[in-house]
Amino acid sequence: MKLRRELGGWLLASPYLLSAAIFFLIPLVWSLSLLFFRWNLITPEREFVGLANFGEALTSPRVWNAMLVTYKFMGIIIPSVMVASIGLALIIHHIPRLKELFAVGFFLPYLASGVAIGLVIQGILSYGSPVNEFLRNVFGTSPRWLRDPFWAVLVISGMIVWKLSGYYALIFVAGLQAIPRELYEAAALDGAGAFTQFRRITLPLLYPAFYTVLVLAVGITLGIFTEPYVLTGGGPALATHTWQLEIYYQAFERFRAGYGATVALINAVVTFVTILIIRRLAESWGARRGFK
Amino acid sequence: MRNAKWLLVGLILTVGGAGLAQGTVDITFWAAPNPPQEVFWKQMAEAYMAVHPGVRITVRQMPEAPTSEAGILAAIAGGVAPTASENIFIGFGGEMARAGAIVPLDTLPGWEDFVRARNMELTIQGWRFADGHYYVLPVYSNAMLFAWRIDILRELGYDRPPRTYSEVLEVGEKLKARYPKKFLWVRGELEVPTWWQRWFDFFPLYYPASGGQQLITGEVITADDRAAVEVLRFLRQMVEKKLLVTEALPYSLEEGHTIMAILGPWTFPFWAEMYPELKYGEHFVLTPPPVPDWWPADEPAKTFADAKGIVFYTQATPEQRQAMWDFIGWVYSKPENDLRWLEITTMPPARDDVAVNELFAAFFKKYPALVSYAENIPYAVPPFVHKEYVELKRVLGAEAIYPTITGELTPEAAWDTWKMLAEKIIKK
Repeated sequence: MKLRRELGGWLLASPYLLSAAIFFLIPLVWSLSLLFFRWNLITPEREFVGLANFGEALTSPRVWNAMLVTYKFMGIIIPSVMVASIGLALIIHHIPRLKELFAVGFFLPYLASGVAIGLVIQGILSYGSPVNEFLRNVFGTSPRWLRDPFWAVLVISGMIVWKLSGYYALIFVAGLQAIPRELYEAAALDGAGAFTQFRRITLPLLYPAFYTVLVLAVGITLGIFTEPYVLTGGGPALATHTWQLEIYYQAFERFRAGYGATVALINAVVTFVTILIIRRLAESWGARRGFK
Repeated sequence: MRNAKWLLVGLILTVGGAGLAQGTVDITFWAAPNPPQEVFWKQMAEAYMAVHPGVRITVRQMPEAPTSEAGILAAIAGGVAPTASENIFIGFGGEMARAGAIVPLDTLPGWEDFVRARNMELTIQGWRFADGHYYVLPVYSNAMLFAWRIDILRELGYDRPPRTYSEVLEVGEKLKARYPKKFLWVRGELEVPTWWQRWFDFFPLYYPASGGQQLITGEVITADDRAAVEVLRFLRQMVEKKLLVTEALPYSLEEGHTIMAILGPWTFPFWAEMYPELKYGEHFVLTPPPVPDWWPADEPAKTFADAKGIVFYTQATPEQRQAMWDFIGWVYSKPENDLRWLEITTMPPARDDVAVNELFAAFFKKYPALVSYAENIPYAVPPFVHKEYVELKRVLGAEAIYPTITGELTPEAAWDTWKMLAEKIIKK
């Protein structure tokens, strides 16, 4: 009986396990096998280069730049997406009717294709767009949105924040709904105003949602690709050149499979360590406030 | 009993089918990820199979995962390469030839007769590799040309487009004086580091300035320094005089916001649909690229050739390669098929006689804008061949063009930077 039940479990899990093996495990093992070779995918033999790929990657200004750019995006996106999604969650939470409809509406950007959004943004920010015409008419000049390093980073960050906020807002809405109303009523009796209630009750009790969103957002920012690929190609002057763009460039444009795999592995390690550090920081903050 | 009867019929059909299939050669041709090209090759395959029942040709669009080159490499690495494919530019062809992934076409029987029959003896010369072999059979050659809004030029008092850099700058200044909101040229991709974008800005200016001199030949930098610096200076001057916009401004030439653009022949079917009011000779004209002031007026200007061709993969069996070679030979033995190509894709076939062959005359009468493309095929230079072609072109954009147009480096210093980096890349 137990065996049959176990077999049934394996059977039910098998589609996922099979797809994970085909699309994750086999490519992972294959890419690990490339780390110590120079190979362009077509030569019959691979050249063994030992740790040369690691040496090159760890001393490459492009790789270091990609890491810094990724952290720069993280520094802008994480606080912005937190503020925007909590703000949206509060709006949705306090809407008296059709709450679900608004929640779905705010979630839609998350489902939209990054390429399609990129093309729309490109149109909105093009030199002759109404936005830029207006700015030139009023101020005499318009920013070079996608050609100026400062603006390009902000535009891409804004796009990602817009895309993620609706999704993360749903997580915060669930968090808000879990806070007992009695806490607010008791605080009001004690004379706490709306802001104090928000600061002392809402924000601390949103910790589980905050933790989830933080980890998700960090993972997303370490994998930014589509937005800079479509809008700036990683430019200007590598200002938006992320890890993923570097991996793509080396593996799929220069066809350096071994080196690309090495940069990807370093990226994976950095991602793992970054998420670990952020989780530890968030957990120690939560522990001090009684969350375990 | 009834089931047994059906089983018997099935068995007979299977055995019979296998017998029929025994003498059949299956070959696969990957067409470019461009629907008109796929249509052409499907038509050709069907016509060929109708008279050659022993060959079964499967034509399909090549995968773009994430680029067509990466798709081909993945297929080769996975051992599932097609028998042949089109859409191969000479740089990528060089990479595959070095790896032994493609067949030297001049080793196939009747190569010279084939070249003669298709009338491409001149065109093919630029496709010879350093080892003396030909690995890519050119299908089309798009000589990149400059389009000018002649209607606006006439308003400025010119009856023909400018020829030299000084003339271009003069026209630009007059344009700004009369229409301050218009620009000479919009090239949003000029500041984007994507390597192949240089085919559509730097090279169409550099080849005419240098007489077609390649930046790299073999493992040596053979660039014409004077020409390259002059091109960079020209770009910088356009920025300084506010004649050039390096941000996106879609359809700027079509809408009359600018008066100059680098165009390929694929533009005109789009114009016919979206901008039918733009008439050749009345609203726009096409010319070879502008040249530095020193370039002799009577010497034709070269330009960049956006040219691609067919390769045969070594993974195919000799029998499959021979069948594919027979098919390709059949296609190109009839100039009518090149006419069909021209009609479907509007890209001039890589023949020496496109501009003069009577067969194509009716087509060009219908599409006069395309005549210039046909006439300029002999002056169109394909890109240089080097295994690091991607990095060399990326560095050209990021370390020479970008700092020049932003004013961070002088044209001379930017060019020296590229040469220094190129030297390192080549030696690595």
